[in-house]
Amino acid sequence: MDEQELIAGCLRGSMEDFRMIVERYTAPARALAMNVLGNRDDAEDACQELFIQVYRHLKSYDKEKSFKNWVYTILYRRCLDHLRKRRRSAELVKKLGRETILATPSNPGHSHQSRSLSSDLLEQLTAKERTALCLWANEGYTAQEISEVLRCSASTARVYLFQARKKIKKLLEQGDVSLQNG
Amino acid sequence: MSHCKTVEIFYALVPLKPWRDLLILRHIEKCARCQAGLASREAVGSLLVKETGADIGRSLWTAVEAALAGDSAGEGMNDRSTQLPVMRRWGWAVATAFLVVLITGFLLLKDFRPGGTASAAAVPVRFELEYVRVGGQPAHTVVYQPQGSDMIIVWAGTNN
Repeated sequence: MDEQELIAGCLRGSMEDFRMIVERYTAPARALAMNVLGNRDDAEDACQELFIQVYRHLKSYDKEKSFKNWVYTILYRRCLDHLRKRRRSAELVKKLGRETILATPSNPGHSHQSRSLSSDLLEQLTAKERTALCLWANEGYTAQEISEVLRCSASTARVYLFQARKKIKKLLEQGDVSLQNG
Repeated sequence: MSHCKTVEIFYALVPLKPWRDLLILRHIEKCARCQAGLASREAVGSLLVKETGADIGRSLWTAVEAALAGDSAGEGMNDRSTQLPVMRRWGWAVATAFLVVLITGFLLLKDFRPGGTASAAAVPVRFELEYVRVGGQPAHTVVYQPQGSDMIIVWAGTNN
């Protein structure tokens, strides 16, 4: 079924059409959230919030623009919110002292089981760089398309992407060197 | 080679995005040596998480559906839920503005007397005469203050 038809169906109040949108976008959205947040639990939450927000604001979606970009823009904002929350809670934990961290049974932001394998590598990048990199590598987005998601100019998106690729290359080379030395 | 180094130096020296973009467009994107210093799409792709399968979508749908059902109790795509915080903010703004106007009005009108000015009415010192004597005898006294003036005239005369 065509995407615009699904959107029109949602606007008419069809939950079945909305379910199809959710199923269509869950995998790429969760991949983006995982790569930006580096954590499965947070990515799940961000995706859930994303689809609730998509449903609520579908009326404000401009049909002339890409629906996928619109969805990714909302998701990117949700991810930024999660990162802000995580930073605040990290500051609080830091204030409370190291003992509290050790006493906490599970720290959702740093659970090793739910972390992606590349999250340590991706931590070296900013959220904008991670988003740009993920859209470029996973979705084949151009700088112009990335700029639409990040709500910045194409030149700025190009710089984010360039910096991210440069950092990754450097880190991969360092990793290779350390592997060879080790 | 030396040109690449110069570009790198200029890139590092000027942290302005339009400038950096210019360097990327003019040189880095076209230069094979500079491109070799960047991670390829394949290399990045192998590091990133990729999600596939409709099962993930189905499991998330259950949670989303429950959240939407609990949220608006069948109201569907109602704009009210999104407009509520905005309306609340406007409500607070109007209430604050009204309060400011009310307090300002009260402060302005507090000292207002019809036919007189606020400054004259707000003379902080009260003038009082207990009694006035002329020639050792209680005098007939008239105290007069001209309108809008701080000056007080006391006129006293004998009673007989």
